[in-house]
Formats: sequence, C-alpha cells, structure tokens
Amino acid sequence: MSAWQIVAAEAPRFFTYWNMLFLGQAVLNTLIASVLGCGLGYAMGFVLAVLRLPQVMPVAAVRAVAILWVEAFRRIPFLVLLLLVFFSTQALRMEAPLWAVAVASVAIRMSALAAENIRAGLDSVRPQQWEAALTMNLRPLAALFRIVLPQSWRVILPPSIVHVLSMVKETSLVSQIGFIELTFAAKMLTQRGFSAILTYGTALVMYFLVSWLLASLARAAGKKLTARPIVLTP
Amino acid sequence: MVLQYGQVLHYLPDFLWGAGLSLWIAALAFAGGLLIGLAGAAVLTYAGPWARWPVIAYVRFFTYTPQLVQIFFLFFALPEFGIILPPIAAVLIGMTLNAGAYLTEIERAGFDSVPGAELDAAETLGFSRVQTIWHVIAPHVVRTLYPSLSNHYIIMTLGTSMAAIFGVEELTARALNANAISFRSVEIFSITAGIYILLTIIASFLLWGVGRWLFRIRARVF
Repeated sequence: MSAWQIVAAEAPRFFTYWNMLFLGQAVLNTLIASVLGCGLGYAMGFVLAVLRLPQVMPVAAVRAVAILWVEAFRRIPFLVLLLLVFFSTQALRMEAPLWAVAVASVAIRMSALAAENIRAGLDSVRPQQWEAALTMNLRPLAALFRIVLPQSWRVILPPSIVHVLSMVKETSLVSQIGFIELTFAAKMLTQRGFSAILTYGTALVMYFLVSWLLASLARAAGKKLTARPIVLTP
Repeated sequence: MVLQYGQVLHYLPDFLWGAGLSLWIAALAFAGGLLIGLAGAAVLTYAGPWARWPVIAYVRFFTYTPQLVQIFFLFFALPEFGIILPPIAAVLIGMTLNAGAYLTEIERAGFDSVPGAELDAAETLGFSRVQTIWHVIAPHVVRTLYPSLSNHYIIMTLGTSMAAIFGVEELTARALNANAISFRSVEIFSITAGIYILLTIIASFLLWGVGRWLFRIRARVF
C-alpha cells in the first residue's frame, strides 16, 4: 500500500472523539506551560530590567548580577536549560511535578528575553522624562511607575505576544522530559501504531493554528500601538 | 547535594569536539537558509501574486510550527513515502528549511531598504550595473541585513541542540551520553550550558568586530 492509502485507511480510526480530546488536552497543556511560564518570566524579567536601571538601583554589584543573569540565560539552548532544571530539582530532592519543571524552565528563559524587551521599552522613553521626574522630587520607583512605564507599554506589548508565540513552539522540547504536551501526545499516538504522517501532521496543523492566532493578535497590537513591524523569532 | 566537577572534567575535550559539530551544523543550515531566503525574498519583492503565495505559505508554515516537530515529521513520516533519511540529513534539511523561512522574511527587508530615487540617480550618473550594485545597492543591503543575520546565526547555533534528540553526536548529545554513564547530571549540564554561553559570546564578539571594522555598523549583535 502506498503512504496515502495507509493514511486514508487509518484516518477514520485516528480522528475519533477520544483521540481529538487527548490532543486537545495536550494543546491545553502546551498553552498552560507557555502562557504561565511567560507570565512568570515577564514578572521576573520586569524585576531584572528594573534592577538594571541606575536611577532605581544605586548598587553597581546588583546591576551587574542582573546583567549576568540575562546574558547567561539567553545564551543557553532551551533543551539544555530544561535538562538542567529537571536534574537540579532531582538533585535537590524537590519532587517537582513535570509541569512545574516545564513552567520553571520557560519562566527562566523568558525572564532573560523579557528583561531585554522591557529594557528596550524603558530606553524608548526620553531620558529627560526621568530627569524631570527626579527633579520634581518623585521617588525613583514612583517616577518609574507613574512616568516612564506608561509611556513604554506600546513598545513592550507587541513583542511580548510574539514571545508567547515563540514559547509555544519551544515547549515542543518539553516532550523530552515526558510532560504530555502536543509533541509528546503526537509521539504517544505514533507509538500506539498510527501513521506518523497523521500524528505529526495533525500536531503541525494544531501548532500552526495556535501560532496563527497569536501572530494575528500581535500584528493587531503592533498596528494599534506602534509603527514598528512585528519580527518573529524562532 | 554535593557538586563534584572533578569527576566529569575528563569529558571536556569530548564536549568541545561536539561543540565543533554544533557549529558545523549551524553553519551549513545557515548557508542553505541564506540561499533559500535570497530566492524567497526576490520572489516576494519582484514576482507577481501567483508566484508569491507559495512562498508566503512556505514562510508561514515554517515560522508558525516548531522546528522539532518539523524534523520529527521528516524523520518519521517520510519513511512511509519510502524516503529514509539518516539523522544528520533529517536535522540538516529541517534546520535549512526552517532557516530559509526566517531568512526570507529577514532578507526581504534588505530588498526594501534600497531607495528607488538612489537607483534613478545612479542611472542618471551613468553608473554601470556593477558600479550600481557595489556603490548603491550593497551598502544599503549590508547595513540593513548584517545585524539581523548575525542574530539569526547565533539563534541557530543554540537551536542545533535539538539535533541531540535524533542521535546526532553534537554537544548536547554528548552531554546526554556522559550523563547516562556518570549520573553527575547537574555538573554535566551546567558545563554544557557554559560551553554554549562561551560559544555564543565569542560568536557575538567576532560578528560585532567584523561588522564594526568591515561595514562600519555599530549595532550590537545578539
């Protein structure tokens, strides 16, 4: 039988309610890992970006540590970071569930990317705004939250949606530690005997749909907030 | 937990050979992607709508789906069509096609960066075709593309780590092997992470230097 005949013969057995439910839950897991991880990562990244500001953090050593964290973690491949987090939690006897390892890895990687993005946003505000605010005797954090941050949202927001998109794709690597997200689900169905064309093909289509949704969102946000084009990152 | 780096240091030469293979994979896939990107960007800029939509579909498909699943598809689904790829070929083809999609988008910006008025001016001044390309087009294209191409090259170097999943003996795969033998996981993967950090910092520095002295570009690389 040719490949297409195999696919045609297996399709009714593959596209059943239960298989689709299984894949749907897997998509949900992918989204949970990437969205939750990105949320946590952005919170961490925000702290890191603020700690790098000389206006807010007067201690040079702390600024250096924040820079080192960002520079180190954006240069580690996600797979290696994932394995490092996975084995570190084991070595520390933390008994962390797999989803927590996945979310933590995404969060650590995201914190470095987010810190760069937020820094770009804060840099886009003119330095005179800082000077004026500090001259008016505002506390540095008040100047940040009341004056600088409101002006930098439009630079920060569109790339952050793109970051979620790139994390949806990168979480496919989480399949390597056994967390049942979309790629691992496709692998399980392949091992149950379905044709790899069907299983991985369906996974690709599902990834495409999720990414397409997020990319449209990013494009809409970009059009509304800035004139800058949206650049996708792998 | 006690970290014992002394027990895993003898893997270091092995890891560095693996890192060499990682760099090769990245370089080959990047070179292939550059050519695909050039063709794709040329079609998107100059061709009619009928030639454009397959290129747009290609770019969308490869940028919206994970590289890992694309290579899984090449590796596990193509045998059903009678095409059996060795792991290194599947990884290289997958990464090249993926890079081609991203580089199409990047290189299109280079085509767009040449102002039409300057081309008209060059023609008015009687520039030959070679002179136009060398003095008018090249400076714009290089200045626009160099920083983003350098960034993408470094991102691809990091992306080669997923070749380990298919059994290609590059840095991450060697780390996984060493981990299976010695069980000193945290030590091994922190060393691996350190090698990747060092590699990309060296690459950033070299690319920044080349851009600075050859093309007078001040942009930061990665």
